[in-house]
Amino acid sequence: MQGENDSGQTDFLQPSDSEIHAWMSKAFDMASDALENGEVPVGCLMVYNNEIIGKGRNEVNETKNATRHAEMVALDQVLDWCHCREKDPKVVCGQTVLYVTVEPCIMCAAALRLLHIPFVVYGCRNERFGGCGSVLDVSSDDLPHTGTSFKCISGYRAEEAVEMLKTFYKQENPNAPKPKVRKDSSSPPGGDVVIQIKPQDEAKETIAPLS
Amino acid sequence: MEPQAKRKKEMDGFDVECWNILPVLSDEQSQDTELLSAYAAPIIEKKQTSRLMKELSLVYPLPGLHHIKRVRASNDKSSSHPLEVIVCLVRDMQEATNGKGVALADLLGSQSFDFSGLGEPFLVKIPATPPLTRPQFEKARKHWPTSFHEDKLITSALRGQLFTAAQKAKILEYMTVAVQAAKSGQEMGMNTVGAVIVDPESEQIVAVSHDCKNSSHPLHHAVMVCIDLVAYGQGGGAYNYDKYPACQFSSQESLRNSFKAVSAKESSQPYICTGYDLYVTREPCVMCAMALVHSRINRVFYGTAFADGALGTKYKIHCEKDLNHRFEVFKGVMLNTCEALCKK
Repeated sequence: MQGENDSGQTDFLQPSDSEIHAWMSKAFDMASDALENGEVPVGCLMVYNNEIIGKGRNEVNETKNATRHAEMVALDQVLDWCHCREKDPKVVCGQTVLYVTVEPCIMCAAALRLLHIPFVVYGCRNERFGGCGSVLDVSSDDLPHTGTSFKCISGYRAEEAVEMLKTFYKQENPNAPKPKVRKDSSSPPGGDVVIQIKPQDEAKETIAPLS
Repeated sequence: MEPQAKRKKEMDGFDVECWNILPVLSDEQSQDTELLSAYAAPIIEKKQTSRLMKELSLVYPLPGLHHIKRVRASNDKSSSHPLEVIVCLVRDMQEATNGKGVALADLLGSQSFDFSGLGEPFLVKIPATPPLTRPQFEKARKHWPTSFHEDKLITSALRGQLFTAAQKAKILEYMTVAVQAAKSGQEMGMNTVGAVIVDPESEQIVAVSHDCKNSSHPLHHAVMVCIDLVAYGQGGGAYNYDKYPACQFSSQESLRNSFKAVSAKESSQPYICTGYDLYVTREPCVMCAMALVHSRINRVFYGTAFADGALGTKYKIHCEKDLNHRFEVFKGVMLNTCEALCKK
């Protein structure tokens, strides 16, 4: 599986403006689709060799697993893609770029490190959970036992991404337990509605198998 | 908490390694308190004390230092002046003073201050922030007296006295299950890390897992697997672990049945890991620690530290102020056994 024509390429680390524009448009389309379906409006794509090999959206509700963020779902697809083609995930991931509308959270940033994804392009900052500088800087901190650090480009259509999140957070989360009244004023405003789960009876959307 | 003296007898003869369960506190709670330089002066005429205090606090109010007691008893009991008062912070001085040969007139001269009854100033260090724990308080008051609102639970946790013998026996029991799971994983070629999630109210084990990393799933750390197994028990779940017989979960139904005797009607729907405790042989990495925040875990007990660990070593994600969920973390449970697992 080694020594294919893509070996040694580093062009993917310097995508042109038009490439970024094209991939991010797709990510934003996914995010607005998610919003229309009552889902967390985050869209993400994993791009390898000009091909989408993983995409995802939040699956927390279907799985009752709060770790099923869009990036985690997309990473699983990348691993499946490698498995089906008998490619080494480490080699493929090492040349894959993540395009995502919102800064990856601390958990997802660590997962990206563990899989050696070198490069992330994102829209707006994630003030609540961000792992690429907003809350912690998992993307570039010195963590020798946690994969490799990665580079980020941020700010692409950031206001639009924030607006979508705001629209979503105004809605209620019917699955969350009723928040206790807190006297603690240090907690962030709206801090009790963060794990966002769509209503149980929503139709499941299966992600179309990728090429 | 129960009085500890009563328990003392029961504690003797227990496995020693279980007794080193220590809380992982925030940096603010565990670091040495920062110190500020200040000028203090002896109060030579005691009857002037209340006037001096009043007037000094008008001239130099010491904002943000409400924990500092303005007046202290002199350290030297044979001293001719029994009391000492803080005049001002060194940083409050307009003109640069090098700390040597500063006279009262330099500090108060421009203020038309009546400093009768006050002796010549000297330099002291005072704690910049209120002490949060008893060890911090003990250190702080060696420099200058402060107020201290003691959190008794933290104090007893730091002394290793938070848990009763019965609670410690339970902690030991659950960690032993995690150790067994770690060993089962090792037999299948995995890293020797095991995890158990428990409902502390019913004392039931909800899920047991071990590290399941392999080339097709490099993210299946023991904690991630355990969280997903809890989801399985609630009718969800994202992966299949049939290949790993030591990875198990209790379905919500079986949990509820066994819990019937305790609370017949109040079995509310469980919500991810809300209210559950995690026992894990090794400190979780960043990914797993943040997964526990997202899952709203109640408490975490771990054995040995991990160089990139995120619950005490590299980060303290469980007490990160900017995050929306915080939880208690205890380390050192079955430390020797858990350390030995990591060396395998």
